[in-house]
Amino acid sequence: MKVTVTRSGGFAGITRSWHVFVEREPDEESWVVLLRKLPWDEVTREPSQPDRYLYRINCEPRARTDRPDSRDAPERILPEPREAVIPEQRLTGPWRELVDRVRERDEEKRELRPAAAPDDNT
Amino acid sequence: MRPPVVRPRTGPVANPSQPDRAISDAGGTETLPGRIVRREGEPAVDDASVNEAYDGLGHTHALFWDAFERASVDGAGSPLEATVHYGDAYDNAFWDGSRMVFGDGDGQVFAGFTTSLSVIGHELTHGVTQYTANLVYSGQSGALNESVSDVFGALVEQHSRGHDVTEASWLIGEGIFTDEVEGTALRSLKAPGTAYDDDVLGKDPQPAHMDDFVETDDDNGGVHINSGIPNRAFYLAATSIGGNAWERAGRIWYETLTGEIKATTDFGGFADATIAVAVRLYGSESPETAAVRTAWGEVGVLS
Ligand SMILES: [Zn+2]
Repeated sequence: MKVTVTRSGGFAGITRSWHVFVEREPDEESWVVLLRKLPWDEVTREPSQPDRYLYRINCEPRARTDRPDSRDAPERILPEPREAVIPEQRLTGPWRELVDRVRERDEEKRELRPAAAPDDNT
Repeated sequence: MRPPVVRPRTGPVANPSQPDRAISDAGGTETLPGRIVRREGEPAVDDASVNEAYDGLGHTHALFWDAFERASVDGAGSPLEATVHYGDAYDNAFWDGSRMVFGDGDGQVFAGFTTSLSVIGHELTHGVTQYTANLVYSGQSGALNESVSDVFGALVEQHSRGHDVTEASWLIGEGIFTDEVEGTALRSLKAPGTAYDDDVLGKDPQPAHMDDFVETDDDNGGVHINSGIPNRAFYLAATSIGGNAWERAGRIWYETLTGEIKATTDFGGFADATIAVAVRLYGSESPETAAVRTAWGEVGVLS
C-alpha cells in the first residue's frame, strides 16, 4: 500500500507531497491499525479557510508476494484505491495522525537517502 | 433591591478612524486565539512578531480608512485581531474567518510571516472580502479572492511607505524567505512567475496571461496560482494611470469589491465590473477607464 499525502495551497501556494510504502515499514502493524481508523465516509467537501492548506490523502493498494494471505495486510483493509480531500481546519483525529506520520517518515528517509539518488517511486 | 450600577465607559471612545487591535500569542500550539499579549494603545513588547503584527494591522487600517473611508474589515470598526507563534515551525499565515494567524516558519525556507507588511495586508483583506463580495474560494472566483488580497496587501505597503507606482516593489512577501532561498518574494504583481526560482522550492508558478491559465485540482483550483493574471491586470492599470496606486486604480478595485459583483464571478465578470466602476467614477472617455480596459485586454481576460 502506497500512502501519498499532497499538501497544496497555503499562503505561498507551494504544493508538497510525501509518501510511504506501508509494507516496507518496520512497524507495518501500527500503520495498519492507523489505516483501519480512517473515517473515509465522514469526509465531506468543505471550503478551505483563506490561505489554509488543502490535503489530498491517497491510498493505493499494491500487489505483494511476501504475505499474500495475511489478514492484516493493508490490502484487506482497503482493497481499492481511495482518496480523501480535506481542508486543514478539518484535518483532525486519525487523518491528522496519518498526515503527520507520512510526512515525518518520508522526511527521515530523504535525509538518509544520498542526494543524487533517484526518487524511490516504484 | 437596588438597580445595577451603570458605570460610564472608561475605555477609549469608539472612533472609526482609529484601529482597535489585539495581538495574541499561541505559544507554539494550534489553539486559537491564544493569550492576549498586546492591546490597542499598549506599548511595544519584547517580541518582534507581536509588534510587527500590531504595526501591520495599524498600517492596514490606515490604508482602508485614508483611501476608502472604510472602518476596519467589516466597515463598522470591528476589532482587528491577530495570533502569532501559531503551531510548531508552521510555514504559513491564514485568515480563519475572524482573525489573522501567523506561524513562525521553519527557519529553512520561511523566516516568519509577520516581517512582510504585504502579507499582513493580504490576510486582513481576506476579512474585507468576506464582509463584501465574499468571493467563493475556488476556481476563478477563488483566484480573484486571492488577487484582491495581493492587490490591497501591496497597496498597504505602498501607502505606508509613500511609494507611487514607479517606486513600488509590486512584490508580495518580500523578506519572508530565508537567505538560503533563491528568491526575492512569494509573488510579483508586476511580473507573475518571476518572484523565485529555487532548487528546493522550484519556480514561481504564476501565469501572467490567460493563455497560461493553470487547470488543477490542487489549491482549490489553483487560487494562489491563477491570481497572477488579475494581479498583473491591476499592475498594468495602476501604472498606466500613474501616481499613487491606491488613489485611482485602488479606488476602482475597492468599489468593485464592495459593489454588486456575484460571489461566483469569474475573471471576465470582475473585469467588466471594474470597467463599469471606472466609467461611473471617471467617465467613459477617461484615461482611467481606458487604462483598466487595456489592462484586462493585455492579460487576455477581455478581447
Ligand atoms: Zn490569501
